[in-house]
Amino acid sequence: MKGKLAIVGVGEVPTGWYPERGDWEMINTTCMEAIRDAGLDKNDIEGVISVNPMAQPKLQSEIGFGKIPEELGLKGCKDICIVNAGGATTTNCIRMAEHWVNSGIAKTVLINHVTRHSGITLADAINFFATAGIDLQWEYPFGMSYNGVMALQATRYMHDTGTTPEQLASVCVANRKWAMLDPNARFRKPLTIEQVLKSRMVSTPLHAFECNVLSDGAAAMVVTSGELAPQISKTPVYKLGEDVLYLGATATQRKERRMGRGPGAAQKALAQAGLTLEDMDILEIYFAYPHAFLMLLEALGVCKPGEAGRFVMEGHTSPGGKLPCSTIGELSRGHTGSGVSTAYYVECARQLMGKAGARQVPNARYLLTNAAGGSGMNMIWSVWGRDIP
Amino acid sequence: MTEKKSSIPVPVTEPWTEEFWKAAKQHKFLVQHCNDCNINIFYPRKFCPECWGSNLSWIESKGKGKLYTFTITMYGVEPRFAPDLPYVLALVDLDEGIRVMTRIVNCDHDQLQCDMPVEIVWQDINEEFNLYYFQPVK
Repeated sequence: MKGKLAIVGVGEVPTGWYPERGDWEMINTTCMEAIRDAGLDKNDIEGVISVNPMAQPKLQSEIGFGKIPEELGLKGCKDICIVNAGGATTTNCIRMAEHWVNSGIAKTVLINHVTRHSGITLADAINFFATAGIDLQWEYPFGMSYNGVMALQATRYMHDTGTTPEQLASVCVANRKWAMLDPNARFRKPLTIEQVLKSRMVSTPLHAFECNVLSDGAAAMVVTSGELAPQISKTPVYKLGEDVLYLGATATQRKERRMGRGPGAAQKALAQAGLTLEDMDILEIYFAYPHAFLMLLEALGVCKPGEAGRFVMEGHTSPGGKLPCSTIGELSRGHTGSGVSTAYYVECARQLMGKAGARQVPNARYLLTNAAGGSGMNMIWSVWGRDIP
Repeated sequence: MTEKKSSIPVPVTEPWTEEFWKAAKQHKFLVQHCNDCNINIFYPRKFCPECWGSNLSWIESKGKGKLYTFTITMYGVEPRFAPDLPYVLALVDLDEGIRVMTRIVNCDHDQLQCDMPVEIVWQDINEEFNLYYFQPVK
């Protein structure tokens, strides 16, 4: 597995709200950008693996039944597939591509995501998020939502650790500082802890600024085998290790201690890479809600239990800090459904290719990133590098 | 004057959970029990998730437990839950060793605390369904 797959090109449209923009315009734009970025001809792409746009049934059918290669005129394309695992989808696209590029099915694979929440009626969008990953018998009748289930986790985390509302809010502020350096982030005005705490309470302890804002987005990447990568790109980004832990579909079945077990997968991913946490130049942590970021920092062993809030408040995860984290600005970026994970992998590649512009972490060589599906059904960790150690 | 009316969705049941909801109508909370593994199971399954056996029965919960965690839901829910706002969503650990999602009612929101003792209180939804809510033990 180590070094068997590499990202050689990326493309992305800024996360935003695009009621006038067509889904296919966004798909075409990002795919063309990724193929050009890889320095390939469109006919060099031999496979297309797409993230399922779960909340958009029409688009799901179009992509699932093979429209992308036809739309883009990918004459060398041999096969397509659509993948669905919620927020863990992109990881599975990459896993499948790794098999395709190493087994001779395809030399190069295009992976893409598009979600256009603005194209869905608000009621449909709410209904989709209200019931996707929520049990209709044991959770939904009580009024559970994604905000609700994460708020439940946040309440207990704060009770157990003494983490303060200010510390929780500081995660949003750290995110915003990265977003201000990212032309692809949706929310880029300066933000203070006071503003976060003054924003409307959504579900205690989470304020509006601490919850996701549904947005439109699209991204794409071109991947190939570790063997071919150096012939295609001067800056290939290698997958060095990956491990995962399944946690459970319904919130009542997931014990909080299991969240602590999730990062055991991070240690295994690092071991596969032959690296340690200390070797990581960036932690591209996907977390969706601020307390989850703190829990993951503690579970990884970056901070002792209860100390992550202070660590973030002191600015160590912000631009210029000693441990840059989540450089796409997560909570300030806008939530594109399953696409947040695509955006993370694209950012991992950009940072390691040296193409991250104003938020480039100097000399970024290795990084650790994660993904999760549903309301937290699993926790996947992977290690990426610009060389194979 | 507008009436404050909730349109709570009814649980989508499975054939092997119908007995649970029938008992709920009689204000009884049944916990599924595997007679072979001697464990309590929530949510009720067709097969025991430990041994895959079908030697399953029901025990009646005493309806007491501890508040594991909670959130006062203020805003941003889908329209059908909006008339209930603000409501307290919670996870409760029953003394029978299972954890359930529920709501906490009949309480002062400022007094809610993780680990506080709570007891079951039934909420009628319609002729077929009662939901199990909890309230702080007075």
